[in-house]
Amino acid sequence: MLDEGGLLKKVNLHDYLRKIIQIDGVSGYEDNVAAFISETFSPYVDSTRTDNLGNLILYKRGSKKDAPSILFAAHMDEIGLIVTKIEDNGFLRFTSLGGFDVRTLPGQEVTVYGQKPVNGIIGFKPSYLDLDEEKGQSVEMKNLFIDTGFPREQVEKNIRIGSIAAIKRGFLPLLNNRCAGKAFDDRAGIAVLWQCARELVRIEHEAHLYFVATVQEEVGTRGAIVSTYGISPDLGIAVDVCHGDFPGAMEHEVSPLGEGAVVTVGPNIHPLMAKRLFETAEEYNLPCQRDVSPGPTGTDARAIQISLEGIPTALVSVPLRYMHTSVELIAPEDVKIAGRLLAYFAAGLNRSFLEELSCL
Amino acid sequence: MIELIKKLCESFGPSGRENTVRSLIIEELKKNGVDFTIDTLGNLIVTKESKESQDAKKILIAAHMDEIGLMVTFIDEDGFLRFTNIGGLLKNTLPGRKVVFENGTVGIIGQEKIKNTKELVLDKLYIDIGAQSHEEAKSKVKIGDMAVFLAPFSREGNRVMAKSLDNRIGCAVVLEALKKLLSFSLPNTVYFVFTVQEEVGLRGARPVAYRLKPDFGLAIDVTRVGDTPEPEFNTNVALGKGPTVKIKDSSVICHPQVTNLMIKVAENKNIPYQPEVLERGGTDAGAIHLVREGIPSGALSIPCRYIHTPAEMVDLDDVKNSVSFLSELLKVSW
Repeated sequence: MLDEGGLLKKVNLHDYLRKIIQIDGVSGYEDNVAAFISETFSPYVDSTRTDNLGNLILYKRGSKKDAPSILFAAHMDEIGLIVTKIEDNGFLRFTSLGGFDVRTLPGQEVTVYGQKPVNGIIGFKPSYLDLDEEKGQSVEMKNLFIDTGFPREQVEKNIRIGSIAAIKRGFLPLLNNRCAGKAFDDRAGIAVLWQCARELVRIEHEAHLYFVATVQEEVGTRGAIVSTYGISPDLGIAVDVCHGDFPGAMEHEVSPLGEGAVVTVGPNIHPLMAKRLFETAEEYNLPCQRDVSPGPTGTDARAIQISLEGIPTALVSVPLRYMHTSVELIAPEDVKIAGRLLAYFAAGLNRSFLEELSCL
Repeated sequence: MIELIKKLCESFGPSGRENTVRSLIIEELKKNGVDFTIDTLGNLIVTKESKESQDAKKILIAAHMDEIGLMVTFIDEDGFLRFTNIGGLLKNTLPGRKVVFENGTVGIIGQEKIKNTKELVLDKLYIDIGAQSHEEAKSKVKIGDMAVFLAPFSREGNRVMAKSLDNRIGCAVVLEALKKLLSFSLPNTVYFVFTVQEEVGLRGARPVAYRLKPDFGLAIDVTRVGDTPEPEFNTNVALGKGPTVKIKDSSVICHPQVTNLMIKVAENKNIPYQPEVLERGGTDAGAIHLVREGIPSGALSIPCRYIHTPAEMVDLDDVKNSVSFLSELLKVSW
């Protein structure tokens, strides 16, 4: 799938991000993303398997047999759409897989996956035609539709109820080395794991590492629930995105772009896991921000923590602006820093850290 | 089968108090000489082992026995009862309805004065069991007692109307399929499970799937339709056009292995079916597919109008086709 063929080492992080966000993989339909991840991780891991729900599990053996095991989870699914009804005239009604900001849907281009993929746009009634009582009302998904340009007969030959649609959007390079596009939530997290795996080529680690590209996070962290059970790790870290800074944001709600990885603290997070992450960042001079989450986080960390008999869990995030839109914007250097942080954290794991965790 | 549906629908079985419904189903099983077990939470399990192969796949078929209901939270000094919901009660369908408790006590849901319908919340409603004093009320009903709608079963042509067709119709479909398959040797081991507490969060299906460790899960439940005037949701699903193959609801994205097999069987056997994407609502497959390392799951739904009201409606052709569909599905190797 990589056009460079065997030249993986020459793929830089920017290229990796550019490629991975343009592969469609909405919740429940992650196969193409999984294939890309499997291929791009293969030089850095010892084995690869896929579980019953489609989670991709990449295993990298540590140097010590009885060393702890750790699961790094980043979800590979993106939010998407699914057809609920075909109107008499061929327009497609839909609902979402995951939580779209409905205000950003009208006017988007989409790819509808029928038997063959076809282009579509999300149509709506122009506001000029609104009746008086409709003026200023918020957009509702049930009033939107996908227009493929086809008449009903042609649509029905190709598309059925349950066909999925993904937002169609390219990779947009911006000033200051930043970039925007769809699905950085959470392909940026996958890129963090990829960066981590690459760093670990030259860093020795005792611990056994499971990089898991999870499925169905956007519909309820479903992939993490079953993959954590299947792997049964000693420790877990979810890697996801968090809200970046923008005009009008409350400072305490956002983490600025370009200022490094974000480590969350709160009840979902084992305090000594977070502490060790901050210490590691300081030791290796990696910029690191602190975020607070008062309840279960909206990430795979919520599922990992309460799996099996309970698993000490942490959350490392990349700041991202305009979450759940097609113009999610990140700073790739934050991805690189987060990847390094995880690599050094993994390298420092041993049996005695595990014992420390239990005497809190 | 009509008599069975009527009996199942008219019986009392809110979430957590499914014993009457379970007894009815057990009676049917005994009539047919079928063995069963009951788990800790009350799920009723019938196992039909495959004799064809050592490594036969195990399939869990789940139909929930429970229905939505009301639970008494307070008895006031005049003998009126305040209540909370068990499952997704629709508050605008409540005022003026009769309800019945397990001991047969009947009440009417009354409504306090309100200025507009927006003020209609459960706090403004009460149950009047005709008691003339606090003491009289307490002698009939305790805090924590549950009630369900009191609503007769009716049939008009090909359509039946009753309370709790969600999901007694699913139970009836599973029972009928089970009876049809009794004399067959099946390529898969099948667990026919009548689950508890679906309406309060798919609680029965989870532990039963954990216990049985199936390779696949299939829920049999009802689904919403879009064939009524100005329906709430955008859907093509209609009464009388066949059972549905669920693709997605709020609780599960069905596994393609299961949905593809269902479509193949329906098409090979000429059983009418409708693909279903349900925007709001879940079913036991939602719990089953997340058990242990993940269990590929799907659902076969019976189209149903007015779900979670005291008068739901299904089409008898859809019911018959659901029985055939489920039976044919279980005759093929998964």
